[in-house]
Amino acid sequence: MTNPAYRRTQLEALVEAQGGCRATPPLLLKADPYFDLAGEEFGRRLLLTTDATGVEYCLRPDFTLPIVADYIAEATRQPAAFTYMGPIFRQREAGPAEFDQAGIELLAQPDGDVALDQVLTFARAALSLYGIVPRIRLGGVGLFEALLIQADMPDAWRPRIRQRFGHTEALDRLLNRLEAAPDLPRTEQPARDALVEDITARMVASGLSLSEGRTPAEIADRYLEQQALDAAHIPAKTLKLLREYLAISGDVLSALRRIEELASEHRLMLGAPIRAIRRHLDRLGEARVDFDASFSPRLDYYTGIVFEMTGRNGAILVSGGQYDRLLERLGAKAPIAASGCALWVDRLEAEITS
Amino acid sequence: MTGLTLAVPSKGRLEELTRDWFARRGLLISRPGGARSYLGVMEGEPDVTVRFFPASEIARELIRGNIDLGVTGRDLIHETSESGPQAVHFSAALDFGHADVVIAVPEAWIDVTHMHDLADVASDFRTRHGRWLRIATKYVTITRQFFARAGIAEYRIVESLGATEAAPASGVADIVVDITSTGSTLVANGLRVLEDGVMLKSEANLIASRTAEWPADKKAQLDKLLNRLGAAGF
Repeated sequence: MTNPAYRRTQLEALVEAQGGCRATPPLLLKADPYFDLAGEEFGRRLLLTTDATGVEYCLRPDFTLPIVADYIAEATRQPAAFTYMGPIFRQREAGPAEFDQAGIELLAQPDGDVALDQVLTFARAALSLYGIVPRIRLGGVGLFEALLIQADMPDAWRPRIRQRFGHTEALDRLLNRLEAAPDLPRTEQPARDALVEDITARMVASGLSLSEGRTPAEIADRYLEQQALDAAHIPAKTLKLLREYLAISGDVLSALRRIEELASEHRLMLGAPIRAIRRHLDRLGEARVDFDASFSPRLDYYTGIVFEMTGRNGAILVSGGQYDRLLERLGAKAPIAASGCALWVDRLEAEITS
Repeated sequence: MTGLTLAVPSKGRLEELTRDWFARRGLLISRPGGARSYLGVMEGEPDVTVRFFPASEIARELIRGNIDLGVTGRDLIHETSESGPQAVHFSAALDFGHADVVIAVPEAWIDVTHMHDLADVASDFRTRHGRWLRIATKYVTITRQFFARAGIAEYRIVESLGATEAAPASGVADIVVDITSTGSTLVANGLRVLEDGVMLKSEANLIASRTAEWPADKKAQLDKLLNRLGAAGF
């Protein structure tokens, strides 16, 4: 391990050695699928260009989407492994930038645990080529979902809480609101039919289509649901559980023990997702591993376990995890297991020079 | 030494009010070449070059540091670049050109009064309608920042360069982010501003560029001019 070119060759060899199909998606990709999958928050990082007919293209901002989209188009549904290494492009505060990314995608593998182990092993091996012992941060999307489904609360609140998982401030605001919920005297609920009629009249008056977007029935139902929710409080004990759970962060073993205590106190069955996390710890070697209960990417196709590996100055070197809902989101007809990770090659090199 | 460059809006009410504002502080800006000329003069200040620009160009050039001082709306600084507000110094609010950038939904959406309602609606919009919630706006940057802070990721922006308030009725978008001073255009189009839906309160500002070159003598000149105008330096 002597110079950048040598390390890069080593990394290239490691990528090849994963036994996957080496994917080389085009540099210029349609922008729409990215907006569709990840929304505006990711969209603002794209480097966009437009063709003569007005169709928007972007410089490849990641490898996962084109790889997975191709896989779905071939419709084999057979287990597949892909690797990649090459440039990606993302807008940054200070103008556009090109980065090198390397990574692995494991699709439709029979055992999701084994697949994630391979991903973690690959990431650790790549970092050790650069002599890096990272800090590893684990997040439990599956664990949180298991807790949420069992916690005592009106059902309508569960998706609202799930939707904010991974966005600390938004979730905090929601919990604040729930904790502060006053005991409003129940005003009488208007009849649904009358509401629908009223909403329809308003929509027609302002020229809105009754079918293209939100429908009068949908608005009325959510209005009634909202009123019911204001009355249907989440028990204080459950709110306290959520607060305590989300605050758990630190050394993985003590964090998981703490979660087990919470689970037994609240009679929750969290054994399976906790065991799943424990099983992977062996693969992480001597690195310091933290578990952060509130950590999750903001995209709802992540499932199971997610992770980040960071360097000395906290720069994220690798991120990845399990995303079993991704393929369905991209048009697959049935759920297909997926896991993988992406490495920021330039940052690995920067760890050595810094 | 070329002196300071001051950019002022090149036309309409904004130009008039800007020149009034300077005049009330004893600095007369004239346009010797007439309304078609883009070069102006500040009387008694030969070292100040006055240029007439469209307001959005003033914002862009202040952020890039190509002009030293300018008058434009706060909204344009925030919209032109995410890092725009850090690239400039707001020296004085001029008390005209008041307008808010707001988020408005169809008045018929009786269940949506706050941003958290919108978060709920956005989160399952795709499942219900097979597409994302669409927001019409020309304020793309401001909208993305505001929504990111609100924790809403599930939406698409439809860029709209005029008559944004008509977008829901024409089926182009579900809701709008628009600029308004009285809100009457929104109301007339059957739209209602969310209770916590004011994204930015804007007005015309005298703005200095932090990214321009500031050698000591030029900085001293700036401070002197700002001082005369009762505006803050940086």
